[in-house]
Amino acid sequence: MKNQFIALPFSYVSRSLLREPIKLLQKVLGAALVVSMVLAAGMFNQGMDRMLRNTGDPDNVLFIGAGSEDSVERSEVAKRAEGLIAGGVRGIESRMNLPSVSGEVQYMGMVDFPDGARGQGLLRGVTPSVFQVRPSVRLLEGRFPGSGEILVGVSAHRALGVPESHLAVGKTLSFDDQEFRISGRFEAPATVLESEMWLLRGDLMTLTQRETLSAVLVRLADPAAFAAADLFSKQRLDLELVAIRESDYYAQLSRFYAPIRWMTWVTTAMIAMGAAFGGVNLLYAAFSARMKELATLQSIGFSRLSLFIALLQESLLSSLAGAWVSVLFAWFFLHGNQVFFSVGSFSLELTPSLLLAAVVAALALAVVGTLPPALRCLRTPLPTALRAS
Amino acid sequence: MKKFTRLSGLALKQVLRHRTRSILTLLGVASAMFLYTSVETLQRALKVVTEQGADDTTLVVYRENRFCPATSRLPEHYLTDIRSIPGVREVIPVQIVVNNCGASLDVITFRGVPSETLVSYNPDLEVIDGSLSDWKTRSDAALLGRHFAARRGLRPGDQFEAVGMRVWVAGILTSPLAQDNNVAYVHLPYLQQASNLGLGVVTQFNVRVNSHELLDGVAEAIDARFRSDVIRTDTRPEKAFFAQTAKDMIELIAFTRWLGLGAVLAVVALVGNTLILIARGRIKESAIFQTIGFSRLDIAALTVWEGWLLGLSGGLVGILCASSFFLWKRFTFGNEGLTLAIEPRWDVAFAALVVVSLLSVLASIWPAMLASSRPVVESLRQS
Repeated sequence: MKNQFIALPFSYVSRSLLREPIKLLQKVLGAALVVSMVLAAGMFNQGMDRMLRNTGDPDNVLFIGAGSEDSVERSEVAKRAEGLIAGGVRGIESRMNLPSVSGEVQYMGMVDFPDGARGQGLLRGVTPSVFQVRPSVRLLEGRFPGSGEILVGVSAHRALGVPESHLAVGKTLSFDDQEFRISGRFEAPATVLESEMWLLRGDLMTLTQRETLSAVLVRLADPAAFAAADLFSKQRLDLELVAIRESDYYAQLSRFYAPIRWMTWVTTAMIAMGAAFGGVNLLYAAFSARMKELATLQSIGFSRLSLFIALLQESLLSSLAGAWVSVLFAWFFLHGNQVFFSVGSFSLELTPSLLLAAVVAALALAVVGTLPPALRCLRTPLPTALRAS
Repeated sequence: MKKFTRLSGLALKQVLRHRTRSILTLLGVASAMFLYTSVETLQRALKVVTEQGADDTTLVVYRENRFCPATSRLPEHYLTDIRSIPGVREVIPVQIVVNNCGASLDVITFRGVPSETLVSYNPDLEVIDGSLSDWKTRSDAALLGRHFAARRGLRPGDQFEAVGMRVWVAGILTSPLAQDNNVAYVHLPYLQQASNLGLGVVTQFNVRVNSHELLDGVAEAIDARFRSDVIRTDTRPEKAFFAQTAKDMIELIAFTRWLGLGAVLAVVALVGNTLILIARGRIKESAIFQTIGFSRLDIAALTVWEGWLLGLSGGLVGILCASSFFLWKRFTFGNEGLTLAIEPRWDVAFAALVVVSLLSVLASIWPAMLASSRPVVESLRQS
């Protein structure tokens, strides 16, 4: 006669779980550790990706020195190229009859504060046209800098490692022994720009004794006009320029940091493996100790499948409880935190996709962890299992 | 002593008897020790390049307030002034070009040096494949560090393009200085022209002084010499220069300490968890051992032996895997043109082995007390 499938009541599952609170705590904390690692690695990688993706605008084209496609910092572009690009490239967006072209100088330098604090940060030499090519930038307070003044991003203090109050409007800082007054603060949400300090291009070029620009940034009226920009860089060989979409440049930069992201996943995998092996061991012992009980349930009519489902439900409950613990941990201790990396600072965010990843990780942990010990326990012949001590 | 040895045999039998449990513990410990060894290898590599020793005699002259090779530009003619400062044994101008100044793995670094001074400045360089004379005679030739060449599968006679330059591989070199094995040496004038900086501009000067005691004095003298010049210098001992310039890399590696600590806790938790499970599952068996003559101390020692065997075997697997991984991959951490070669080290592997042994014993103490402290009669009655 074929066994009829009768599911064990959920009250049995919940009571079994609560029978040994210490073991339950071990299971929940083990799952919480694994899921927390997945969340932390995911938040880090998504944050870095988001920052680089948001910074690169597909409507913008970057003209940089040939051979410097990997890094604007070492690029050299003749100053006259700015005017030639404005006049020679078709399809450049224009606002109030001014072409959206911004020749900029990028410079990593040491900044000093009156109280003796020092920090290394990215300085960008700009002209007012910078706002035309970077529409995400918004002046929060103060004004565009004049000579001897500097505009700071809202996250610049993190890059410099100083309190936020050091970069309040009206305060001063020094670069290359030259004092600058902070004229304003700007934001550019979720981009690397927020970690920068902007000053007049002429000031930065004078102080750094530089005669060339780092790059010329152009905003196109239509992204399809990129072909015209590319053609210009290929025709004007004398300028030794390369035209690259800003979004492609940052995508390339993202690839440069791929090994770091890869390292975070390997670390997560290692810790998750250690915790998972410990968890499986625990389940082996827990299920073995209940072999007689499970055999008794089998002998009174419950099928192996219903017992397996009950064991799986127990593991799913403890894993999901662990996932909740880790989500709470991530929300209260990681979400919203700023991470500063070479390229800029980015915030850790608990996104819906990460919540889904947390649930999937918990489910996978429960299924993978339950299968081997449950199968071993349930495959034992009934007479042997009933005699188990 | 004999008894102690016999207990180890019994412990081994117990470990082998519960294969699944032992393998799971071993794999868990191996994962944690892989992580621990990796973190320690990184930390040690950093320590070697940043901690000054009594035999350090090298100074780096950089442009004041500059931290990236793309922005440190010094006139090459400073060379003669530096050379004339008392205490200076040798000077070499170096132009450095990297694909990116940010901290990441596998950064491409070109070092442009005068062909006539490379070997005299660094006599320990040895060309293991190709020819030094080929490098000297061809202007676009490059001498590749052996790890650099291995990572990209380059051999003498090959050509490759990176950082906007095309070079011809004249030879592969090896050096006792790990940094040399991860860069490409090219001719200084070639690099100056190819990188658009123009002739006469270099990134830094590497200066050898006559003795370690002269480091500070010579550094001060060099900076004083150029204080009134248009371009001022900042001279620091090589290791201090590394510590101050590669800040991102150092912060990143410093953070990995927490991972190392996590791995240590994981080993303790895993071994402890397994031994508690063993102790709980063997109550009756331990009582029988005691009735046939084993003392409580023997039961405790047996548990400790098992913990040590499990920890050590897992540790060995993890340490060997991590060391082989670094031996195979030959990672280079780069930041601001400086490279940190991550190589497996025997001292790190040995220290990790000692750590895992101690941790296993530490994790065994509580389970050993649990196993040996239960009343015999009560344990024998347990169903």
